[in-house]
Amino acid sequence: MTSMTDNAIGICDLTVRYGRTLAVDQVSLSVAKGSVYALVGRNGAGKSSLVRCLLGEQKPEHGTSMLLGEDAWSHRAALMQRIGIVTEEADAPPEMKVSSIARFCSRLYDRWDQGSVETRLQTFGVPMSSRFGSLSKGQKKQVSLALALANSPELLVLDDPTLGLDVVARRSLFEEVIGDLADRGTTIFITTHDLSGVETFADRVGMMENGRLVLDEEVDALKSRFRRIRFATQPVAIDTAVLRTTVMRSWGAGAEAIVSNYDDLAFERMRSASNIGAAEVEAMSLEEIFIAISGGKS
Amino acid sequence: MRNALAIAAREFEEKRFVAYAAVAFAIVPFILSVIPGINGRSPQETIALSSLIFATGFGVALAVMSGASFVGRDLSDNRMSFYFSRPVASASIWFGKLTAGLLMVVGCFAVIIAPAWLVVGEFWKSFWSLTLAESTKYVLTIALALFLITHVISTFARSRSPLIVIDFAAAVVCGLAIRYLIVLLATGWAVEVMKWTATALALALAVGIVAGGAWQLERGRTDRRRNHLALSQFLWGTMAAALLLAAGYVGWVLSVTPGDLSIDFHATRSTSGPFAMITGRSPGRGDYHAGFLLNTDDGSSVRIGNLSAVVYTRDGRSVIVPRMEGGVANLWIYRRDLKKPIDIGLTVEAQGLFVSDDGGRVATLSSLNILSVYDVAQKRSLASVRLPDGRYMRAFFVSPDVVRLYLNTKEKLKIVELDVRVRGLRETGSLATATFARIYPDAPAAHMLVRPERGADVVTLNDARTGALITTLASGTQVKTARFLRDGRIAIVDGPDSATVLHILSAAGAPQRDIPLGPARSSIFVGDDGTRCVLAVETAAGVGQLIAVDLNRGVIAQRVDKVVWVPSGTLDPRPPIEPLRDVFYGDYSDRKNHIVSWNPATGGKRRII
Repeated sequence: MTSMTDNAIGICDLTVRYGRTLAVDQVSLSVAKGSVYALVGRNGAGKSSLVRCLLGEQKPEHGTSMLLGEDAWSHRAALMQRIGIVTEEADAPPEMKVSSIARFCSRLYDRWDQGSVETRLQTFGVPMSSRFGSLSKGQKKQVSLALALANSPELLVLDDPTLGLDVVARRSLFEEVIGDLADRGTTIFITTHDLSGVETFADRVGMMENGRLVLDEEVDALKSRFRRIRFATQPVAIDTAVLRTTVMRSWGAGAEAIVSNYDDLAFERMRSASNIGAAEVEAMSLEEIFIAISGGKS
Repeated sequence: MRNALAIAAREFEEKRFVAYAAVAFAIVPFILSVIPGINGRSPQETIALSSLIFATGFGVALAVMSGASFVGRDLSDNRMSFYFSRPVASASIWFGKLTAGLLMVVGCFAVIIAPAWLVVGEFWKSFWSLTLAESTKYVLTIALALFLITHVISTFARSRSPLIVIDFAAAVVCGLAIRYLIVLLATGWAVEVMKWTATALALALAVGIVAGGAWQLERGRTDRRRNHLALSQFLWGTMAAALLLAAGYVGWVLSVTPGDLSIDFHATRSTSGPFAMITGRSPGRGDYHAGFLLNTDDGSSVRIGNLSAVVYTRDGRSVIVPRMEGGVANLWIYRRDLKKPIDIGLTVEAQGLFVSDDGGRVATLSSLNILSVYDVAQKRSLASVRLPDGRYMRAFFVSPDVVRLYLNTKEKLKIVELDVRVRGLRETGSLATATFARIYPDAPAAHMLVRPERGADVVTLNDARTGALITTLASGTQVKTARFLRDGRIAIVDGPDSATVLHILSAAGAPQRDIPLGPARSSIFVGDDGTRCVLAVETAAGVGQLIAVDLNRGVIAQRVDKVVWVPSGTLDPRPPIEPLRDVFYGDYSDRKNHIVSWNPATGGKRRII
């Protein structure tokens, strides 16, 4: 458990409402400095609303959002000196050239590494002379990322950064850029649908569903407690008091169960007691866990 | 500041094509000036006129388009997070964008107009009453106002929030409140105060929009609906506060009492009744003119419109007050025995208005020279006739059914009567007259008139209905004025300026008494109560005096020096029915500016205002 001062992000009891629609419902979470937090959830789950509150762009109906120890709403402008942001939608003026956008941004920050912007865009293959509006969705994200990193941020907030990126660019983003930053100790808060991408470097994962944070856990712990168990025969009687079954369905001649509190000893005791027969236990990826938790409807 | 300038520079960079367009429009007038057929009377005129049109059109169009988009479009396109994800304060975003937008409008106007001004100088004045500086001031004021207003409309409309209904209602309420304040001030002809109030409210609106813009971005940030809500709250809050202040000020201006009036006042006084009317201004209240009807019997006063054209009835018991509304007057009658006025139910043009002795009937004269007679109690028209050609001169009710008119033509003064019973107009006689628009005092019974002709130095007694000469009362005596007294006797003032004399004659014209008045350049009969007669005389240029003459003893009983008589304002040529009461005069000595009530019987004085 980390103290508040050790947290780069501290969200407490955050509630956002649009008219009668509850977009974020009493969400609390914290992100330790130097860690990578992945927030996942289906479209409309409330991620973007939470990110807007997190960045001080929107005042929540209730609750607080702290960034680097300061209130995000009250100290937004000062905090932005220390934070890099890639928004969900490309928001730079379409008429501006990439070089103009970089020049404009350079005037606003105390620290600005123009060389890193040019190098990254060169790596991404985005010409500085291009008009922002003429770039593809992926290129716009790459421009946003290059700009977000130019002030050497202590905290990087990425709102669905892979949206629109091709497979190569996505891999590059995760492995080369975010992975590198994570290694250097930059705190990263990322919302994404690309769970396979963040699986390798995310320290903690949160999952939102209908505005509520239904999961907030260390990735390793999460992955260690979720297991897929395939039984060769049916019927299968699992003692749910011992193993919480999230999903139970037919699988060939047998059955498949996904349990959310897997424990080797408990499973062996149950198998010998219930005479279940042959069973195969498999570890699950984050994406599989996400689908299992969200009811397999994603 | 640094960030605001950075944002302003970015806005300029984004919209630099607008500056290119302005340069093109600056060149066009010079091209037009050399094209045969469309270059007008002279190249200078073409350049001056077309550059002004282009600059105005371009500036106004740019103001509208920029105002509608400089924040509203970023919000509706979800691009405001581009700024809010940077280390920039909301105020810097707003003022950076605002500065760029305003300077763009001003700059483009200047870019278009400046080359033309350098070439043609102040040529504009040859076809436009305003100088270029004045034209620029008006155009830019309108353009910048449009810029701010379209920003508000754009923010409200682009949010797609039902809150816009409340905004519309708030705008209507503000409009109605402003109209109400203006109407209140208009009743007092307070053009200056209206200008102050309108300017203050316009400034409040501008402050509400400019500061509200910063507030909307601080509270709403990237959310267009919250932007709308914040701007709406700030703007209407500011306007509500400004309107409350304006209403408070207007309320204070309107709360003026008769005692507050000390500037530019004007008054009339019923000769034989308790009523008097006072209008004037008060310090700190600008040019607001308040009007009051005073009742000297009980000391009460009521507010009336700022009109000096109240008409007192001859019996002194009533007064007709026209209340102006939109260029016409609604007539109300105040009676000394009633607490509340009565709406006569007549709407008339604000000119010729005559009242019968008891106020029971009213005659009006329209701009089309139509004389109409109404019954006040029945609220209906009794007769209406078009008067013959000729300049109207004077009319009065001889009886409740008969209105007598003296009509001035080139050759003579026609005497005409309208009898409402037969609804006919009949010429009853005439008088040869050398002068225009004289009032010939009539006898109380309206059967005779005295005709003092100062130029001809003669006073004659004539039949009031036919104009026929009855007798000559005075001739060659340096006649100054003449009048019937209430008891039917005739009073004439004549003599040299250094030693005037008041002559009292019988109703038939027989001399009864001569009373020396002393020096007087001119004199006016104020009234009489049977035993004394009051005259307002001018002893020297601009120096007035009121004297009460004891008719029985033949001496001046009371005298007030250096005062200005408050006239009766009555149009009736006959003496009042009731005896003379206290007389009002203005005391302007030693910058006092007072109106004083003077009792000619006792010499007692009482300050009214």
